[in-house]
Parts: sequence; structure tokens; C-alpha cells
Amino acid sequence: MSEAFKVEPDITFIKDICALGGGDLKKCFQCATCSVVCPISPDTRPFPRKEMIAASWGLKDKLIGNADIWLCHNCGDCSTKCPRGARPADVLSAIRAAAIEEYAVPKSVAKAVNDPNKLPILLSIPVVLFIVIGLLTGLLNFRPAGDVIVHSNFFSSWLVDIIMVPLAIWSTAIFAIALKRFLADIHANAILEGKTDKKKIDPVEFVKALIRIIPTILKHEKFNECTENRERATAHMMVLFGFIGLFIVTSIFFVVMYVFQIHGPYSQLNPVKWLANISGLALIIGSALLIKQRLSQKDSVSSYKDWTLLVLAFGLGVTGMLTQMTRLAEMACLSYTLYFIHLIFVFYLFAFLPFSKLAHLVYRTVAMTYAEYSNRK
Amino acid sequence: MNKKYGVYICTGCGIGEALNIDGLSAAVKKARKTAKTHPFLCGKEGVEVIKKDIADEGVNAVVIAACSRRVNTDVFRFDGCIVDRVNLREQVVWSHPKGDKTLEIDHTQMLANDYLKMGMARIDKILPPEPYKLDNFTRKILVIGGGITGISAAIDAAKVGYDVTIVEKEDKLGGYAAKVRKQLPVNQPYTGLVPPIISDKIRELASFPNITVKTSTMVARIAGQPGDFTVTLKKPGEMIEFDVPFPLPPEMKVDSNGKELDKDKLIELYKDYNKGKNDILSFDPNGEKFGAVVLAAGWRPYVPAEGEFAHLGFGTIADVVTNDQFEAIAAKGKILRPSDGKEAQSVVFVQSPGMADDKDFEYTGSVTSLVALKQAKYVRDDYSDGKAYIFYQHMKTPGLQELFYKSLQQDPGIFMTKGEVISVSKNGSGLVVEADNTLLGEKIQVKADMVVIGTGMVPVTVDDPVINLAYRQGPGFRDNAIFNGYADSNFICFPYETQRTGVYAAGCIRRALTMEESIEDATGAALKAIQCLESSNRGVAVHPRYGDMTFPDFFFQRCTQCKRCTEECPFGALDDDEKGTPKPNPTRCRRCGTCMGACPERIIGFSDYNIDSIGSMVKAIDVPSTDDFDDPPMRILGLVCENDAYPAIDIAGLNRLQFSADVRFLPVRCLGSINVIWIKEALSKGMDGVFALGCKHGDQYQCHFVKGSELASIRMKKIGEALASLALEVERVAQFEIAIDEFDKVPKIINDFVKLVTDLGPNPLKGF
Repeated sequence: MSEAFKVEPDITFIKDICALGGGDLKKCFQCATCSVVCPISPDTRPFPRKEMIAASWGLKDKLIGNADIWLCHNCGDCSTKCPRGARPADVLSAIRAAAIEEYAVPKSVAKAVNDPNKLPILLSIPVVLFIVIGLLTGLLNFRPAGDVIVHSNFFSSWLVDIIMVPLAIWSTAIFAIALKRFLADIHANAILEGKTDKKKIDPVEFVKALIRIIPTILKHEKFNECTENRERATAHMMVLFGFIGLFIVTSIFFVVMYVFQIHGPYSQLNPVKWLANISGLALIIGSALLIKQRLSQKDSVSSYKDWTLLVLAFGLGVTGMLTQMTRLAEMACLSYTLYFIHLIFVFYLFAFLPFSKLAHLVYRTVAMTYAEYSNRK
Repeated sequence: MNKKYGVYICTGCGIGEALNIDGLSAAVKKARKTAKTHPFLCGKEGVEVIKKDIADEGVNAVVIAACSRRVNTDVFRFDGCIVDRVNLREQVVWSHPKGDKTLEIDHTQMLANDYLKMGMARIDKILPPEPYKLDNFTRKILVIGGGITGISAAIDAAKVGYDVTIVEKEDKLGGYAAKVRKQLPVNQPYTGLVPPIISDKIRELASFPNITVKTSTMVARIAGQPGDFTVTLKKPGEMIEFDVPFPLPPEMKVDSNGKELDKDKLIELYKDYNKGKNDILSFDPNGEKFGAVVLAAGWRPYVPAEGEFAHLGFGTIADVVTNDQFEAIAAKGKILRPSDGKEAQSVVFVQSPGMADDKDFEYTGSVTSLVALKQAKYVRDDYSDGKAYIFYQHMKTPGLQELFYKSLQQDPGIFMTKGEVISVSKNGSGLVVEADNTLLGEKIQVKADMVVIGTGMVPVTVDDPVINLAYRQGPGFRDNAIFNGYADSNFICFPYETQRTGVYAAGCIRRALTMEESIEDATGAALKAIQCLESSNRGVAVHPRYGDMTFPDFFFQRCTQCKRCTEECPFGALDDDEKGTPKPNPTRCRRCGTCMGACPERIIGFSDYNIDSIGSMVKAIDVPSTDDFDDPPMRILGLVCENDAYPAIDIAGLNRLQFSADVRFLPVRCLGSINVIWIKEALSKGMDGVFALGCKHGDQYQCHFVKGSELASIRMKKIGEALASLALEVERVAQFEIAIDEFDKVPKIINDFVKLVTDLGPNPLKGF
């Protein structure tokens, strides 16, 4: 006789999931239509049927540390076909948000990031930081000299890096802490539910699995399997590649500046600039398409966390691009202002990455890698 | 009755093309009757022809050879005339090929000829019915039980002007409905519990001057028959001379060797067994008169036997209670544990006893599912952090109660799963419930303060006859065991009908029902009681042969007092006296003819359906022998139940299914009415085989008359023994089962039997 699982429903967790957009979860009557219609659910221990009952029973431990919630690409087929309107897709999405909140430390930040009332405070943090540090160090000059617009004359590159580099380290550190727990949890859960034949996580094999899974992610192969998702896949891919492109550009810029002491702005003919502009456009167009789709989407819930991410991506792209355009148009005041706003977006991106929906980039990658590694079928 | 015959042959619907109509007319002429043909007899002109003959020539015995008697019933109804319908369409031309003139034998034509002759033979022997009228007729309705069902039934009947008396054995009205904290929703939007509505109902009841309420009263006996019941009431616990006598139990009817005691000894024993009680045939002069009875005596909570549900801790752990006990706790106030009075914040509701079986508790139905939901809500209402778990094998929430289920599902503190509860054990002061095969995919344990087991609602007819009928067959319903003790006569077809005419069951005595369902049920039973009154007063049958004006007539001079009719009547319509002479009670009768089938002296018959009429039809069948043909065709008689088998054969014809033309169908009211003399006559006439085709019998019977097809099967077996002594093979007589929708099986049943008989060879008695 197997050991019985001791059930301790967590009513608060149920309420949390409801608040995060999974408000219909209790409507589930366990017919398993969702698992049947899901195009990417595995044949053994398929999701999201088991997640639905675990959620309605408030079994937090079975959900937060469950890699399966990340294998879902949120196409919404299950929600469309659900005979009771329980919206499994939205429930899984809410559970993912809860998982991000759970693994990120400090918790208070995570709570604040998912609370619309705290948005003004979160936005005012970079503003205050920029101004205070800028004025104290003198790296922020509200009257930049010269006929040519050079953004670093207004907001010194030093100032940017004084703030952004530690921020990147903070994000990475938070992710590192979170992922350590996350991996341990999903492994424990996989063993408990019999989803893996591996006893321990072998780091080398795990990295090999990561390398194997990266093309799948880049090509959006899983994403494309979701029937309802076809349209969204392209837009999502544009946003992803936009971010990757801009990450490369920023890295090149960083190296060139500190190693070769060459400062921007670069000429429009420079290939790095080409990459920057193409990536920026991809980000803007991609995020705009996603916003449009979400607006026209009547059959799934769009919560605060979804909108923050979309507005953030779109805002980053637009303010970046406009800063450049106004610089070329020699509209100094406007350009400097836009640059300031752009930096606020960048700050928000870095600072709250591990707490926001954008963290799915990391969690889903890890979960998919784990599934690949552990032979999840 | 001076009969003036008219025979009308329709040639429409393919009859004219398939048959030689002149040949049929000649057969009519041979019977010294006149035939008229018409191409469209059911049309206005066709009917006009018949009506003109009735008006001008005084025709009053009409034979219509056309379509099945199951269609065009209104068209071919002629007041003051007796009518026979010869089924040339469905059972002749639609189910048999057109005769081949080049062959020696035209089987289809012979079939039509025989049917026409049988129709004419019948009309010779039957008479128009004269209704039986009661000398005293009472329109009052007696309602037994003053719970929500009884009250609702009384109100419904009173609203349309009937006088009603409610008897309730408790000292006040309301029943269980008055004992609950809250009840399931009865109105839109069906999402939440509502305060008990019983007090409103009682108030409404009081506003009807034509309703009499008698509390602390019960029925001592109900004597007589529908429309004229004599009812004796008494206080509970009282012993009076009009308490109903009970028949002797089977073990008292035999001596120590198992041999049945003689008649006088039995009477003596019976009198001794019922000492101090008057016989059923002596009526209480002070009895109250009623016309019909609504039985709404309800249910009692199931009481588990000692040691039953031990694995659930029932009986050993104080905090494991039944849903009824939980309701009593909830009605008192906050839900507290019986063991120590502490708050029960976590309660597990067990809906099925488990033990490797997915059956729910006995006597549950959908009610216990809904009650578990209701009581889960109590827990949530009492404690904001309360948790209620429901482990079910079936979550049954019929009708709009589904909305209630849905709304409770939304409660974050209610947890439901299908699953088998294995054990309930103590853990400190609390309990641990373990369940397997849950939707959570594994064996689980839940901590609980209390466990509630969803036991059922036992109809009171399990314990006691309740109605206390002064009938010779006994005071309660016979064969109630196949309905698990519920007062029912058929699980599907006849709601409210019990096995006793004039007694209509409603509410939880009939099936486990919610209060909402019970209220609706009450209306149904009240309407049935009214239908009974408004039929009995006109001398027509109530159910299922509604409107039938005939009733069994007894030729008592020849009665041998064998009591078979009294004992075999499925509805207890006959009461015999001390000598054993049956006393008919026509308004109790459902006109199935089972008595006629039972009577060895053949003294029972109906004006239009009797031993002679059917026997004459059998005799009218031509049985060709070697004198007529070198290789004479077989002749087989099919006695078919007109409720299921006859329609099935018609539908087979409608679907143009073909079957042997060697069989002659003869519709009977019920297989129970088949008297073996008909079978003997058929065989002695040289017919090669006889079969009865009727509905399923046994526990899942489909018989309109409950016992008819079962009794027939017993009699068929007995006749088999007699056949063997005549050197006839027992296989020549058979009985087959068919349901009304199994028309596709008709050809196989018939053809297989024809083949079997053909293989046996012709009846050696043929031609004598």
C-alpha cells in the first residue's frame, strides 16, 4: 500500500489564484476535456486536469513547484473547450504568477509588482534614484552643452551604469536563489508524481538538455503546436528576438565603451546600429500586435500582470526609438525627456524582472529544459 | 342485443393491390354477412358509407378490415355500435409479399381470409359494455401523511374543489420539513439555501375550509373499493376491532411435513391469528367514506445496524454521525462536535460506503448528494475558515439543482472529489479520513473534526403496510420487495400508481426525493386521485386501460371456490368469503383479465372479451390438411399482448419487415388473461403450435399489469406437462418476451418458432 498523501487545503492560496485571474477555477468538475484538447500536453499525467483539482483543493505545494505549469504555453484551447467555463488556461497562468511571486525574494517586492496600487511607488523609485544620485555625483546635467545632441551629456553613461549594473547583478542574484529552490522543487514533484526516471539532477546533462531545448524555444516550436496560438507566435517571436537583439547591442556598446573608449551615438551606417534599429522595430511591432490581440480577445482573462508586461515591452521599444528619432530631428528637449523615460522603463525591466510575468522567460526555459532532461513524456 | 352486421373492406394503403378483394368478399358472404369495399375507408366519404348504413339500415355490429386498431381509433368509433378492426394493413400486406398466382397456395390471401373470419367470429360473440356503477359514491380524498408532500397534495386537491382529510400520526403537521435548519432552493436562481417553507405551506393549508386535518391519527383499515372506501381511523398505539387483519404467513399455512393444511384448519388458524379483529368483509358502520387515497407517509432515516460501516468509524467514534443526526445538530445552532462540544471546523461528508464498490448508501437517490452539499454549506456558514469535504462516487444534482451545485462549487472552502473512503480513524481528538482512487490521483488523507455519512431515506412501507387495506391479499402492497420497499408499481412507466387502484403514492414513500420534487410529486398523485374519482363514478377503468367500460363478470353458479382468481389478481381486486367465493370489487379492477386466465371453470369474462369470443376466433382459423393440399402449410397461433407485442408487430409491418404467413396473431389484453382452454382448442383443432408473445417479466418487468406475463409463463409451463401426456411435443407451446421498441426482433422470433414447429412436423391431430 502506498503512503497516503496528506491533504491540507490552503484556502488563502485558492483566493490568491482567483485574484490573479483564475477566478473560475472552482467551476471545474474534472471531466478532463482540457487535457484531451491540449495539443502539447504529454500522454502520461497530462495537464491541466490534475492542476485544476489541485487548485480547487488549494494544494499549493503540488502546483507552485510543478514544472508542468510552465510547459503550458497558454494557447487557451482548454478554456475554449471547457464545458463549465472553468478557464484552465487562465488558472495555469494565475498559478504561474503565484509561482513567480513565491520563488522571488524579497516577497514584499513581488507583492508590490503584482499590485496595481503600488505602480506609482515602483515608478517613482527610478525617478528619485536617478535624480538624487545624478545630482549628488553631478553626472546628471539638465543643461547639456553642445549643438549636437549627445544623451550622455545629459544623463552620463557612468550614471546609467552605476545604477543599471548593480541592478542587473541584483536580478541575476534573485534569479539564482529562486532557481535553486525552483529546480529542487520541480525535481521533487516529478519524483513524487512519477514523471521522471532520474534520481538526481546531473549539472552537465542538464546543460546539455538546455542546449538541446534552445532551438525549440527560439523557433517557438511548442508555441506553434498550440492551435489558438499561431497568430500570437509570430508576434511573440518578434518580441523575444527584439529583446535578444537589444541585449546584444547593449553588450557590444558596453564593451566598446569601456574597452575601446568609443562613445556613442553610432553612425546610422554602423551594423550594430542596424541590429539595434531592427531589434527595436521588432520589439515595437511585436508588442503592438500582442496588445492588439489581447484587446480583441474576449474569451480569456487579461489581468494586471499581463498588461504591465505588454506595456513595458511596447514602452521600452517606443521610447527608445523615439529618443533616437528626436535626436536625429534635433529636438533636444523632447529627446532628453524621452531618454529619461526610456531609462525608467529600463530600470523597471531590470529591477522587477524576477518578480514580473517576464520571469517566465527564465522559469519556462528551466522547466522545458528539465522536461527534456528528465525524459518527461 | 339484436345484431345487424356490416363488414367494410378498405382497399387503400396497398391492400387492394396485394389481396384478392373479391375472394375476401366471398368469405364474408359465406358467413352470411355483406361486405362493402372502399378505396379510402378512413376518408370522409368512406366513413360516410358506414355512418349511412348505421343510420339507414340499423347496422350496429361493424367489422372494419383495414389498418391496425391502433390507428384511426377516433375515425372508426361509432356510438352504440360494437366494432372490430381486422388488421389487413400492418399485419398482412405490409409484412408479407403479394401472393404468387402461379403457385398452388397464396399464403398472404389465406392470412387475410383468416383474420377477416376471426373478426367476424368475435363480433358474433361480444356485447356492448354496460358500466358498473357504485351504489354509494364518495368524492372525498384521504391523504395519509402530513408532511410537505401530504400538505401539498391536499392543497392541490382542495384548490380544484375536492374535500380532503389529512391524517398525520404525529401530534403536529410538517414532518421532516419542519425539522431542518435550512432547505434546498425551490425557486430561481437556485443558488443558495432557503429557510424552511413548511410553515408557509401549513398556513396556506389552514385557509382551505374543505381540508380537515387529523393529527395523532392513523389508518386502522381501509375497506371497500375506490369511490367507496370505508376508512377506520384510530390513535397511534390503540388496539381496536377494526384493526386490519393480516393474512397467515406462509409458514403457518403448512403442517410440520410441509403439506398445505386443509381449508377449515386454515380458517381456524386465520381467525386465531387475527383474534379480536373483524374480518375484512365486515365494514365499520362508523367508518368514514373516502373515494381515493393519496399515500404520502414519507420516510424514516436509515439506521445502520450494529457494526455496519465499522470501517467508517460509525458506532465507535462519537464524531462520526449520519446526515440525519448532523441535520439535528445543525438545527440546534452552530455545528459542534458530539464528543466534546468543540467547534467542527472541518467536516468530511462520505457519500458511499466504499468497500471496493461504487454503490451509494441504500435508499439514497440524488437527495443525499444534495443534502451533503447543503450541510457543507452549513459548515461554511458557521465558520469563515471552515472546510467541508465531500467524497462521492456519484454526485447527483438533477434538474435546476445543478445550479445549486455550481454555486457551492465556487465556495473556496468546499472540496469535492470522487473517491472511495477506506477508513475513518481517530487521531488525537480529531479524525483522519483516508480515501483511495480520488480525482487527485492518489490515496489521500484528510483531517476532520467530524465525519458525516450520507445514509438514505427508508420508505415507511419497508416497516409497515401503512395503508392497512382490508383486502384478502393483505393489508400492504404485494411484491414490494422488488421495489426495495418503495410504494411503487413500475419504476419508469407509471408514476404515482401503486399496486392498488385508488391508492396513489407521492413523495419519499415512492422514491427518495427533495422537498421541491415532493411538492411536484404531490400534484401528480392528487391528479391521479382525482382521475380515479372521475372514472370510478362513470364506471370506467382508471389505469392503464383508461376509459374501458367493461369489467369482469362472474357466473357464480359454477364457481368451485378454488380462490385462484382472488390469489392471482395482481391488484387484489377480489375478496373471497369464508367459503372461498370471490367478491368482485369492480372499481379496484384494472381489467387485465388475469382472473379470466386463471379460472379453471371459465366462468369469468368481459362483455367484449371472454372465453367464448377468443375461443371462437381460434376456431375460425382455417387449418389446411392433406385433404386440401399435398403439402399443407403450418398453422400457428400467436397470442400477443396488445400493450407491447401487438404494437411491436405493427411497427415491424410499418418498417416492411417480412415474417412467416403461417402465424395467426390474436391480441389479448395481457398474457395473464390467456386461458389454457384456447391453447388446447387450437391444438386439438390441428394447429401445429401456439406461442404467447408479451412483455418482460421478473424483477425488471415491463408488464402493464405487473404480474400478467409472469403468471402466463407459469401456466405455459404447466400446459407443457399436459401436452406431453397427449403425445404432443412440449416445444409446440412457447412464450417469448418482447418490448414495444424491439420491433426488429419480431421476424426472428416468429420465423424461428415456425421453423422449430416445422421441424417437429405437422400436428398429428390435424384433420380429425
